[in-house]
Amino acid sequence: MGRDIVSLDDLTVNNLGVFKKINEVVLPTSYPEQWYKDSLNADQIVKLAYYSELPVAAIKAKTINTSHKAGTYEHMQQQQINSKIIPNAVYIESFAVLPAYRGVGIGKKLLDFIIEETKNKFVHEILLHVHIDNKTTIEWYEKHGFIKDDDIVKDYYKAQGLENPDAYILTLKV
Amino acid sequence: MVVAKKGSPIFQSKEDANFREALKLYDSKQYKKALKLVDANLKKNSNHAESLALKGCCNHFVGNKSEAEPYILKAIQKSPENYLVDHLAGIYYRTVENYEEAAKWLKAANDNGSPNKPILRDLSFMQTQIRDYKNLKDSRQQYLENQPGYRANWTAVAVAHHLNKEYSNAVSTLTKIEGIIREHLTEADRYEQSECALYKNSIIAESGDPAKALQTLEDDKDEIRDGLSYLEYKAKYLLMLNGYEEASVEYRKLLQRNSDNAGYYHLLELSLGSISKPLETRIKLYEKLSKFYPKSDPPKFLPLTFIPASNKAFETKAREYILPQLQRGVPATFVNVKPLYKNHQKLKVIEKIVTEFFENEVGKIANPTVHVWTLYFLAQHYLYLNDLEKASKFIDDALTHSPTLVELYILKAKVLKHQKEYVAASDIMNEGRELDLQDRFINTKATKYYFRANRVDEAINTISLFTKVEDGNVNGCKDLHLMQANWVLIESAEAYSRLYHEYQVKLEELKNSEDENEELEKDVVENIEIYRGLALKRFNAIIKIFKLYYNDQYDFHSYCMRRGTPRDYIDTLKWEDKIHSTPMYTRVLKGLSSIYFELYDEQIKKKEDDLEDNIKIKKANKKQKKVKAQANKKKSELIAKVESEKDDADPLGNKLLTDLAESDIIEDLYLLFKPLIEEGKDLRLTWEVLYKIYLIQGKYVLALQAIKSLNKILTAADDFKFKAVGAKVVELSETLSKDPKVNAAIAKVVEKSLVSTFPQFGELSKEAFLEIYSK
Repeated sequence: MGRDIVSLDDLTVNNLGVFKKINEVVLPTSYPEQWYKDSLNADQIVKLAYYSELPVAAIKAKTINTSHKAGTYEHMQQQQINSKIIPNAVYIESFAVLPAYRGVGIGKKLLDFIIEETKNKFVHEILLHVHIDNKTTIEWYEKHGFIKDDDIVKDYYKAQGLENPDAYILTLKV
Repeated sequence: MVVAKKGSPIFQSKEDANFREALKLYDSKQYKKALKLVDANLKKNSNHAESLALKGCCNHFVGNKSEAEPYILKAIQKSPENYLVDHLAGIYYRTVENYEEAAKWLKAANDNGSPNKPILRDLSFMQTQIRDYKNLKDSRQQYLENQPGYRANWTAVAVAHHLNKEYSNAVSTLTKIEGIIREHLTEADRYEQSECALYKNSIIAESGDPAKALQTLEDDKDEIRDGLSYLEYKAKYLLMLNGYEEASVEYRKLLQRNSDNAGYYHLLELSLGSISKPLETRIKLYEKLSKFYPKSDPPKFLPLTFIPASNKAFETKAREYILPQLQRGVPATFVNVKPLYKNHQKLKVIEKIVTEFFENEVGKIANPTVHVWTLYFLAQHYLYLNDLEKASKFIDDALTHSPTLVELYILKAKVLKHQKEYVAASDIMNEGRELDLQDRFINTKATKYYFRANRVDEAINTISLFTKVEDGNVNGCKDLHLMQANWVLIESAEAYSRLYHEYQVKLEELKNSEDENEELEKDVVENIEIYRGLALKRFNAIIKIFKLYYNDQYDFHSYCMRRGTPRDYIDTLKWEDKIHSTPMYTRVLKGLSSIYFELYDEQIKKKEDDLEDNIKIKKANKKQKKVKAQANKKKSELIAKVESEKDDADPLGNKLLTDLAESDIIEDLYLLFKPLIEEGKDLRLTWEVLYKIYLIQGKYVLALQAIKSLNKILTAADDFKFKAVGAKVVELSETLSKDPKVNAAIAKVVEKSLVSTFPQFGELSKEAFLEIYSK
């Protein structure tokens, strides 16, 4: 048996550029330089996925407490949980698979990793924002058990310059 | 140095006794104490030659270097036949790496009866260093007679004979010591024994007697530990002796050892005589070999080199070769087939195979990487054809598909480079580099591309990620010099050259423009000076490194004998004999020659200007001094970045530049090119530059010979009439007729020879001649 063609690996200071590149190419939103630097901190949940040794996807999440509502994309990215507050959810900040490498199970593998991490932290909820027009992504999450919250977050992506800047929140209980 | 007690000259005076005492101190490196004694001696008797010589040596070692050679010279002038003086002179010149003089005086010491036999050994090192093989034989032989108990000394004598092409003497020396030592060998000596046996064998073969070599090889079989060399030698001899079948057996054995060595396949075919057999037979042979060695590349690739493109089998085989590599995602697929591209028809077949695969098959394959590797292949293919538009399209598609694949950025940058977009190319290369900071390959590439875009600071900062950056240093520039990173040095030298030329153009523009802008002009002038100095400095750094390379062989003259590695030693000597014609060194010379010629033109112009207008320049100089003081502050920042060693005395190459500008530039350049007359006689650069030098120096006969040599090299491949030759013929003839000082007889000889070598020059008008020589 050969090795699995899809494998996961850690983010390091040397391949940070790859993480950045994948997000920049795939996602319509942008992340500040500091956000990337902070990705290397030990408390962050982050992983790269490789297809045939080529990095093609990346995910980043963090623990949050849902009682602190953040109404905009920028705020959501900046927010870091205070060590005194007990987290009750894992929030996915970025999740990107290069278009040419979709449909071969890479996203599922990264999601499984997040689910595993969530359980390890004794947290039972994963949540994220999705752009309201992004039908295929919403479908993908729903296919993997996420439930769409009917409430719309108004103007969530406004400062990012997206058309229809509203977002849905999707949740998965684990 | 040790003074033998017995047989040394009788010390007649107090001076001699003192001197002996001083010598002892000198030997134990107490130079200052030795100096005191010697000085006391010289006070009493200023003609005491030994003391003078010793003073010279001591002065050198206590750091008073300028006061060393005068004393040595005085000493050898006073009593050149005193072996102590000779020996000290030899030691002094060896220390300052003047091997010619060192050899001369060490030899004199020995000839004048010095009882100190290690002199002979030192002498032999000097003689090898200066390639005086004729005398080397004697010193090695004499030393062997003095110390026959060491095998190294026997090997050394054999090497000396070998270097003189006295093969039978070399072989008999080696055979003799083998016989003497055979009984006493321990396991630790086995390697040396094996190497010496193979060395002996290679000499026999070199002498042109493969039969005897083969016989000896078999006789020595038990001594030889290097099984690979044994097989290679044996197979080679068998081939030379027409023992084809036996040779083929040996080559099959060699293939079992290493089935990736393409050379073995060729030699196997040679021994099987299959090259002249029908194509099918050859194809079958390789199919069989490919089954034996399924993981090896040559049996799959080599048939593609000999099957004609028109044969159907070529397409089938090429398909079988290329497509699996694309499917596996082998990055080097294109590089693997590139050798076939010399044949345009084969190129076309391959283009068809890959294009068809891309259009019809790639979409059906589940693995997305096949898509990107195929795009990558096609981009390289069209880049090879210089179809930059198509190459760009394919590489851009590939980048859209897989923007995290580092190879794609390298290729994209390469395409941009061919489009002369050097800055954009370096940006792309850096973008690729940022994907994987650990990748030294792309780090190097990014550095090089920054240099090509004249972005020297960024280049050095990039490469500094992989150098040692000591405390207080802003980058790894010093480490790069220490590590002899020639490729960095030459790229930066060339970048600095381009930069100062850019500023020169700017200066011309400023001078021609309407509005005066003195401030800006000063700035530009200063930049020209700085970058020219730096270019000169970097080029010279490589010259220095090559001098080191040459000096480095010194240790091997004894080390290789003791280690018993004469075969590698001979290879090293041969390599050293050619280092001045290596691509790196000639690239340096090319860069330097253009700076030298430029400086020479300026020197001439300055002399003319000086005559014309003395006062004006003086005024300007005064002004410049003021400016310089201001600029010095700015400079210190720059200096921190470009220093080549700690406390660099001339960090910007300023002194180099001014020294050069005041020297005989053309003669200096000639000295740089002198080694190339032998080592680089097949290089175009050698004769192009030497011609120009000779022309300036008024050495017309030599200039003529340079043209002839150049013509010979250029026409060796194709019998064209080259512009580079024609223009020189005309130029030489015109210069001759204009030079009033030329000796009439010489002018006649050159003129005649020009006509006899280039008959059309005599028959046609200059214009018509140049039209013919226009390739």
